Amino acid sequence: MRWRAARRSRSIRDGVIPAGYDSLDEYDTAAEVDAAFRTLRRGALGYFAVFLVAVGGVPGLTLTLNWWSEGQLIGGMSPSFVMAAFGFYIFFWLLGLAAASLSTAVEARMLGGQETDPAEREGGA
Amino acid sequence: MVDASIVTLVVVLVVTLTLALAVRPKGASTLDFYLAGQRVGVVTNACAICGDYFSAASFLGVAAAVYASGLDGVWYATGFAAGFVPVLLFVAAPLRRFGEFSIPDFLGRRFDSATVRLTAVAVVQLVIVSYLVPQAVASGITWELLVGHGIAGLPPYATGVLMSTTVITLLVVLGGMRGTTWTQAVQFLLLLAVLVWLAAAVLGSGFNYWTAVDDLAAQPLANPSQADGRWQLANEPNRLDEGAPSYFGEPGARYGSLGQFALIITLVLGTAGLPHVMNRYFTSPTGNAARMTTVWVLGLAGLFYALAVMLGTAARSLIPEAVAGRPWLGALTVDGVLRVPENALLVLGQVYGGQPGLGLIATGALIAVMSTIAGLLLASAASWGHDVYEGHLNPRATQRQAIWAGRLAVMGVALLSGVLALGLRPESMTALLPSIVASMVTWAFALAGSALTPVLILAIWWRGTTAAGATAGMTTGAIVAVGMFSTGLITADQGLAEIFLTPTLISGPMAVLATIAVSSRTRPPAELERLWLRLHGTAADRQTERLARLTITGVSDRPKEAP
Repeated sequence: MRWRAARRSRSIRDGVIPAGYDSLDEYDTAAEVDAAFRTLRRGALGYFAVFLVAVGGVPGLTLTLNWWSEGQLIGGMSPSFVMAAFGFYIFFWLLGLAAASLSTAVEARMLGGQETDPAEREGGA
Repeated sequence: MVDASIVTLVVVLVVTLTLALAVRPKGASTLDFYLAGQRVGVVTNACAICGDYFSAASFLGVAAAVYASGLDGVWYATGFAAGFVPVLLFVAAPLRRFGEFSIPDFLGRRFDSATVRLTAVAVVQLVIVSYLVPQAVASGITWELLVGHGIAGLPPYATGVLMSTTVITLLVVLGGMRGTTWTQAVQFLLLLAVLVWLAAAVLGSGFNYWTAVDDLAAQPLANPSQADGRWQLANEPNRLDEGAPSYFGEPGARYGSLGQFALIITLVLGTAGLPHVMNRYFTSPTGNAARMTTVWVLGLAGLFYALAVMLGTAARSLIPEAVAGRPWLGALTVDGVLRVPENALLVLGQVYGGQPGLGLIATGALIAVMSTIAGLLLASAASWGHDVYEGHLNPRATQRQAIWAGRLAVMGVALLSGVLALGLRPESMTALLPSIVASMVTWAFALAGSALTPVLILAIWWRGTTAAGATAGMTTGAIVAVGMFSTGLITADQGLAEIFLTPTLISGPMAVLATIAVSSRTRPPAELERLWLRLHGTAADRQTERLARLTITGVSDRPKEAP
């Protein structure tokens, strides 16, 4: 599928609509979309669970572990302060990047593959 | 010297106004006026979203909350930044793929229901007004400190409120979304530059962030309060350990055990329901672009809030030493602690950059206010002009009539928020709230997170959601949230008030339950399959990307003309 997409996009990059493609219309089938939707929902819920554990865990540790809010990690900053002042932002960005990459990859893999490649239709490799 | 700060301010205002006029839509359609033609690139849109989102609550309010409450104030920054994670996971790409003009438009078409659309319009307008008022309050505070006198016999606070509201209304009416996108992107970059300058000035003066937190923890956290008409410092009681004092780097200065979670959940869930931020996603060319825009926003937000937290800490640490020899600062403080925490960054600006420094920070504050007000007014315009006027009052309206309906709505909403802001005095509420600006914005987040986000997420990810369920969810969320924080204001500082003032932890789940309960007893829209293809399919994205590639190829392959 990736190979077909590469061929198609190479043709388009060359400024030529590949033979056999009458128009630029794209479409998805209901079954494809449903499968992609379920995969994406599962992934999003997984990432959200990790996010909730982190966001709830930091104040949770603050309330339960003295060391977390009174100990010193960097200079005079407690682990809790370090996490709230810097750590969370790095974590959010990494989580966001990973989730976006996964969603994009899932969509690329599961959607848009229904068009039959002209070469394939003609029996070519 | 005051002139130097005012000149800085005027120059920035003139530049942004010129920019809005230069890139305003010519021969505008409603698509151009509300959605900038849906051709806004990833980085530009990320900067514009940041301009929209980083309001006075982020620029002045986060530093103020950290200044007044230490670690408990830092949770504001965490919550504001964290809000974009659910946006990325659940909303950005499908919302853009479905298209439309606004949240009410999206929900109205998703459920094919005028009732859903009008309920959403009512909630959106409540959120917008709740968000607009603190912006106007912040501009009043800034003007009061920067200029110190009013115009045409008005007090300085009222002058600030009226000036900012009028200028932005003019920008939005003239520029529409296209003009506003560019001014917001530029405004965000200016805002970030101002924050970086102040951080560099503070660090350059020898401020040590790492040890400052430890030094501040050496004595209990105290803030000014008024007793018998006299200002005095009072130790902040520890909400986690009754009878003990609270300390800057430790929890408990503002929130009890439940309050910490309640604040973060309120801010996290609120972002996905903010109409002015979500409307920006409709301007992306594709769903993928909307998703990547959010990744950029998360990075920029992290940088912005890390700096704001550091500067709030710096203000708490440095201002007591700076009072000696600065009579103007003595008038703003009680034993070295600011009476109005929102002045923290402004005071640091003046201490490290004199009057031009104050001018720069004030400009930053007004930029934050202006760009957010602009986004809110545009969201209001889209909601009234498109959802109500075009959708219900005059379905055969011409493009020109619809745009003018939006412009009139902008003026009406701006007037209302200005009047409400004039009725508030920040000093009268600092005893109750850590930062009046950040707290009022939190109410907008609570309303959005309770009434809009649950329904929005269920509408996108659960096929069983129905029009009646969505209406029930929005209504339940809004009523519970408003009821709870009204109760919280009345009961003030007693026990559960902190949960009532950040009610999403309770009102959000109630909205979800109401949506599910009512949806289970009613029928989903008839054309659900078609709607699902539009929400979660990528055919339109691929076609847009394909056309863009063909266009680029066509342009690059075109033979060069002879000179």
